[in-house]
Amino acid sequence: MRLAAVVLLALVAPVPAAALGGTELAKVVREIDDRQRNQGDWKALCYMEQKEKDKTDVVYELLVFRRDQDDKQMFLFTKPKSEAGKGYLRIEKNLWLYDPSTGRWERRTERERIGGTNTRRGDLDESRLVEEFDAKWEADEKLGVYAVHRILLTSKPGVDVAFPVVRLWVDQTSFNILKRQELALSGRLMRTVYQPRWRKIFSPSKKADVWYPEEIRIFDEIEKGNSTLILIKDIDLRHLEANLFTKAWLESRSR
Amino acid sequence: MLLTDFQIAARNLATHTRRNLFLGGALAAVTGLLVLLGALTSGMESAMMESATTLMTGHVNVGGFFKITSSSTAPLVSEYPRVLEVVKANVPELDWATVRGRGWAKAVSEATSMDLVLVGVDVTKEPAFRRVLRIKQGRLEDLAQPNTLLLFEGQADRLKAKVNDVLTLSAPTDRGVNNTADVRVVAIAGNVGLLSAFSAIIQGDAVRQLYGLKTTTTGAIHLYLDDPRAAPAVASRLRAALAKAGWRVMDPDPQPYWMKLMQTVPSEDWTGQKLDVTTADEEMGQFKQFIAALRIVTWLLGVILMFVVVIGILNTLAIAIRERTREIGTLRAIGMQRRKVLWLFLLETALLGAGGAGAGALVAVGIAAALNAAHIALPEAAQIFLAQDRLTFLLEPGAILRTVLVLGGLTVAASIFPARRAARLKPVTAMHHIG
Repeated sequence: MRLAAVVLLALVAPVPAAALGGTELAKVVREIDDRQRNQGDWKALCYMEQKEKDKTDVVYELLVFRRDQDDKQMFLFTKPKSEAGKGYLRIEKNLWLYDPSTGRWERRTERERIGGTNTRRGDLDESRLVEEFDAKWEADEKLGVYAVHRILLTSKPGVDVAFPVVRLWVDQTSFNILKRQELALSGRLMRTVYQPRWRKIFSPSKKADVWYPEEIRIFDEIEKGNSTLILIKDIDLRHLEANLFTKAWLESRSR
Repeated sequence: MLLTDFQIAARNLATHTRRNLFLGGALAAVTGLLVLLGALTSGMESAMMESATTLMTGHVNVGGFFKITSSSTAPLVSEYPRVLEVVKANVPELDWATVRGRGWAKAVSEATSMDLVLVGVDVTKEPAFRRVLRIKQGRLEDLAQPNTLLLFEGQADRLKAKVNDVLTLSAPTDRGVNNTADVRVVAIAGNVGLLSAFSAIIQGDAVRQLYGLKTTTTGAIHLYLDDPRAAPAVASRLRAALAKAGWRVMDPDPQPYWMKLMQTVPSEDWTGQKLDVTTADEEMGQFKQFIAALRIVTWLLGVILMFVVVIGILNTLAIAIRERTREIGTLRAIGMQRRKVLWLFLLETALLGAGGAGAGALVAVGIAAALNAAHIALPEAAQIFLAQDRLTFLLEPGAILRTVLVLGGLTVAASIFPARRAARLKPVTAMHHIG
């Protein structure tokens, strides 16, 4: 799997280019956010496949709901049967986990591994690079057949993010993020994320296209051999029920 | 007179050797079983509490939780030197105190990974560690070096790690930011029961580095008292003193800190620092419950066995009285009072009870001593439940004496009814009895 992603984005060759200036860099980062941002509601069907060394592969099917203007988010697991009805609800910057087998809600950290996979809540949220990071241009180079900007992001003081240092490889033409390296506070590389396929959908609320990565491949750089594949399908940008982002709604799904 | 009574009772017992040997043997078996089970439970409790009060908890602990947001919880005590000052001023019973980091991380080796509860220590200030830890590989002293870790055997086997191997610890800081630290394994110690299944000992500054903490922040202050029995009173006094000094102090809650960290505190809506004063019994609540459950099972087993013994005694004495009806009639005819007949029968069963229970206890003590001397190694799964790596029975004279007295007393109590029946027999009726 990793080989395929590497082959897809291989043949990295430096191309001579002038450094992106401060204004241009800021424009690129803002463009990355704007292209992915949706002003209305968001619903998607997702598949998460977790591969761990010496363990059986696990595949989850879940519905992802977002209401970006209120920072609300919900994940409802639908498969496998043992996980069906389990869900995460993010309201007022608190992330709650509901387990229908016990009927209990537990408050979890924002940087929780979703369903025990290497997926973080932020992987399925809108892009907030401008709010969360300071950017620095590192190089313009080739990533496979793509000409990319390599940009180093460092978290802004006082902003809590899962990974304080992030390196992006951004397609110079489309401004899609093709590759992402996420580093720990110690500077150690923790995750490498490839986003080889991007799709767009027209958003009536934004009155423009919204771009999203259809496929996200996450490689664990600490536990080599562990990886997560996320597939995002069936995007629906129609208005969601008003009471959807509530504990009662999530509980009702498993009754 | 009493000596004569004893002689008569002993002769009566000797006359019916087979029957009394059978009854005495049953009593001895029950006593021996109860003594062995009690000694095994005490051995577990003793091993567990010794390792726990050395490695995981003081007699009293001043820990706490820091919440940057209501959804993030870290087991931290900030500005601990100030807390320690208040502690020292208010606990005259204090023998010594130590400061330890608390944390949780995923440990990743070349081969695999596992979750570890981290205990951050300054090994130069932990004199009791040497007594409890049995170092199998490496040196405990090397834990004073920066970025070092001590693993227990089970963990080392699982991680396929040896001394001098480097592990990566991965954990979120108190702000939820992912961080890593590379630590070198400097020692591997023998397992100490359930505690060593999930806890590893790490050099104190390595914990601070992993969690991005200041030097004035720690996990908990462990207090060791001159008399551990004073712990509840000291904890109560400290709660009041710390609250008076301006800290927010959590209400007493008899749960270990990691359960509060995982379940209770994240659901609470406060932010900032709260201190939590606990005792060793509270920190070891789960283990204590396990031991209590085991004791209950032991006693239930004991009660069932005792019931069987009581039935046996009633039956045997009923047969004995039937066989000895003419003898009782003769004794009554030559002037023996009813009370004396009752007394002789009770004395007989008392001798039988004391002899049987005493012999059972002696045999059990012998078996336990022999098993202790054999140093029988337990399999890893059994080590977790028995809290020890070798089968150890703790023989407590008081508990053994109690078991002997209870079983002896029960034997006498069970004989009261048949003995009274014997004493009530009319001499004429008894002498005419055929059988």
